[in-house]
Amino acid sequence: MTGSLFQIARSGAAAARASIELTAQNIANASNPDYARRSLLTREFVGVSVSQGSVLNGVLIDGISRNNTAIVQQQARSSASELARADAELSGLRDTELALEQSRVFEGLVEFEAVLTQLEGNPLEPALRTNTLETARQLANTLNFADTTLGQARAQVQDAAGITVDEINAQAAELARINRSLVNARDGTAGQAALLDARDATLRALSDEIGVDVSFDASGAASVRVAEAGGVTGALLVDGVNPSTFAATTQANGTLAFTVGGSGVAPVRGAIAGQASALEAQAGYQNELDAITSDLIARANAAQSTGADADGAPGQPFFTGTSAATINLALTSGRQIATAPAGSPAGSTNTGNLASLIASIGADDGPVATTDTLLLGLSSRISAADTTRTGLAAIAGNAEATLLTETGVDLDTEAANLIRLQQAFDANARVLQVASDIFDTLLGLR
Amino acid sequence: MSFVSNATGAFYERSLSQMSGLRSSLETLQTQISTGTRIERGSDDPAAASRLRTLSRTERLAEVQADNADKLARDLTEAGDEVLGVANLLSRARELAIRAANDPVGEAGRAAIAEELAQLELELFDRANATTLTGEPLFAGTASGPAFVRAGDGSVSYNGNSEISSVTVAPGTELERGVTGLQIFEFNVNGTPTNAFAVLSGLAAALQPGVADPAAAARAALDGLDAAIDTTTRSQTVLGTRLAWVEVIQESQQDRALDVAEQQSNLGDTDIGEAIARLQQTLTALEASQSSFTRVANLTLFNAL
Repeated sequence: MTGSLFQIARSGAAAARASIELTAQNIANASNPDYARRSLLTREFVGVSVSQGSVLNGVLIDGISRNNTAIVQQQARSSASELARADAELSGLRDTELALEQSRVFEGLVEFEAVLTQLEGNPLEPALRTNTLETARQLANTLNFADTTLGQARAQVQDAAGITVDEINAQAAELARINRSLVNARDGTAGQAALLDARDATLRALSDEIGVDVSFDASGAASVRVAEAGGVTGALLVDGVNPSTFAATTQANGTLAFTVGGSGVAPVRGAIAGQASALEAQAGYQNELDAITSDLIARANAAQSTGADADGAPGQPFFTGTSAATINLALTSGRQIATAPAGSPAGSTNTGNLASLIASIGADDGPVATTDTLLLGLSSRISAADTTRTGLAAIAGNAEATLLTETGVDLDTEAANLIRLQQAFDANARVLQVASDIFDTLLGLR
Repeated sequence: MSFVSNATGAFYERSLSQMSGLRSSLETLQTQISTGTRIERGSDDPAAASRLRTLSRTERLAEVQADNADKLARDLTEAGDEVLGVANLLSRARELAIRAANDPVGEAGRAAIAEELAQLELELFDRANATTLTGEPLFAGTASGPAFVRAGDGSVSYNGNSEISSVTVAPGTELERGVTGLQIFEFNVNGTPTNAFAVLSGLAAALQPGVADPAAAARAALDGLDAAIDTTTRSQTVLGTRLAWVEVIQESQQDRALDVAEQQSNLGDTDIGEAIARLQQTLTALEASQSSFTRVANLTLFNAL
């Protein structure tokens, strides 16, 4: 009987000490965001004796419980994934806005319109003609520059997407490795808890890059599919211990197409989805910029063709080229600007043809107006995306806070636990003392 | 074994995001105050940015249109001066014609009058070929050469054309540059087309010694001179009216420029008073949350152990 008392006190002291160790572990990891707080699972240990029925044997350490809620994890992952998409898209769009606003296409067009109007005041003045020609050259350069900066913005997003793809493959391989270890891990061990921490951290890192749907098997190993539009789950990115290769191919217009293990997918969340949609937008703005440029070329050349230049010769094309990248000034001298209507003699001060060019450039559907529409469309889209992003950031922040609340370490709780467990240890030690006293008393009987 | 705890990490995370939010709005306000502009890039306020673009276009075009209006006003003033000179000259010719017709001036006197008329005709020719400050003929329409040319026999004919081109001086407002030589110097006398030069040189020729009945010729020339003066006066009125119109437009352009500047300021400039008040408010909030953060962060049971 006294042996049993020793056994009970010893098991109690051991359980208290193990709990104190776990509490110390929790405190040490208080600032580790991937750490889910642990607690010790214990249960009463009752032995069975043939002669006396049940025998009390103290407490049994059942294992280490890792505080975890799959749903909260999943919410945190998917909201962070949405936020990463919005961030990546917004950053790509902002680069585009910078490219189109800083290249000052609109100001270039207005300046061209202004010098043409000025020329109307004094059509034969050589200085004004030269100024008009140089402003037109500047406008062509501005459009070339806008094309270049837009290309740079696109290259930046493409580079970022390349890094994202590498990151996705690295995380998928890491997850497969963790899955293999998890299958072999013993339930309730500290090792298993550490692996689950690593699994959740990898899943969160993966979700930032690409939106995924996750399922777990009995051992906690995660299988991952790419989330697609309308809740469709796409190809398996990680199938237990086997990762598939995620790949991106660049299309002719600069947009990206994705495959997992060779079959096509269209991710809807994560940085890669934001980068893909930013590239789509950039391809659209590139088209619009090219359309504005070819419209400008067509209008300027059409006006030249219906006029006569300062020497009375038929007007020659103003610009060559078909897009923002290829536009170039075709005229070589200010005298070649066809200010007068066709058929006018040399030195005519008639500005009828010039007036129709000015009207054509400044028309409601002319290049000045369409450039303003382009910029307005882009900045409105960014403004809306920014608002969406703010909302998503709040949601993601909440989900993150909820996750931390569920899984994180509360130092006050741990401090209280520390006091409680210390008392438990002391009490068990006291029981040992009592058992020893009883034993001594029994030995001292004569 | 799931219970809700007040995780230490969550507290730090929350405090950090709140304080960095305050800090970022402080920085935005700071930028708005130091740059004086409310809109750094289009996406800050898409509609206002588009409006500002339109205003900057209006402003730039208005500058050029104001230049055009100045140039037009100068040209019209010069043309007006020349036409005024022509009118004075024709009145003088009329006086001379009346004197030649009525006064017993004698042959020598008529010869002197003829000499003066010939001089007046030369001056008229010069005035008709006057150019702008930049060298274009004032009265040749849109043609480049001199407005009037003198043939070998001394007769003067119009060399320009009847086109008058317009110039944009305000949004949607085009004004004609002036009047052609045809409108000032060419007219019909008794159904016959003629010009002021022919009238003057014809009269000068009729007053030469040896020509029969110079007084009758002088009386006959009065009809031509009256028609010439009428035509010139009409052109003077046209030029004067047009100049007045340009001046009205110039005034309204100045008003519009002020209006544009005011709208630009309203749309794009920082309201300093409001921005500073907001800055102060945000600063107070940030300071308060910083000090409460340090106090709360210091509250831990470990202090009591």
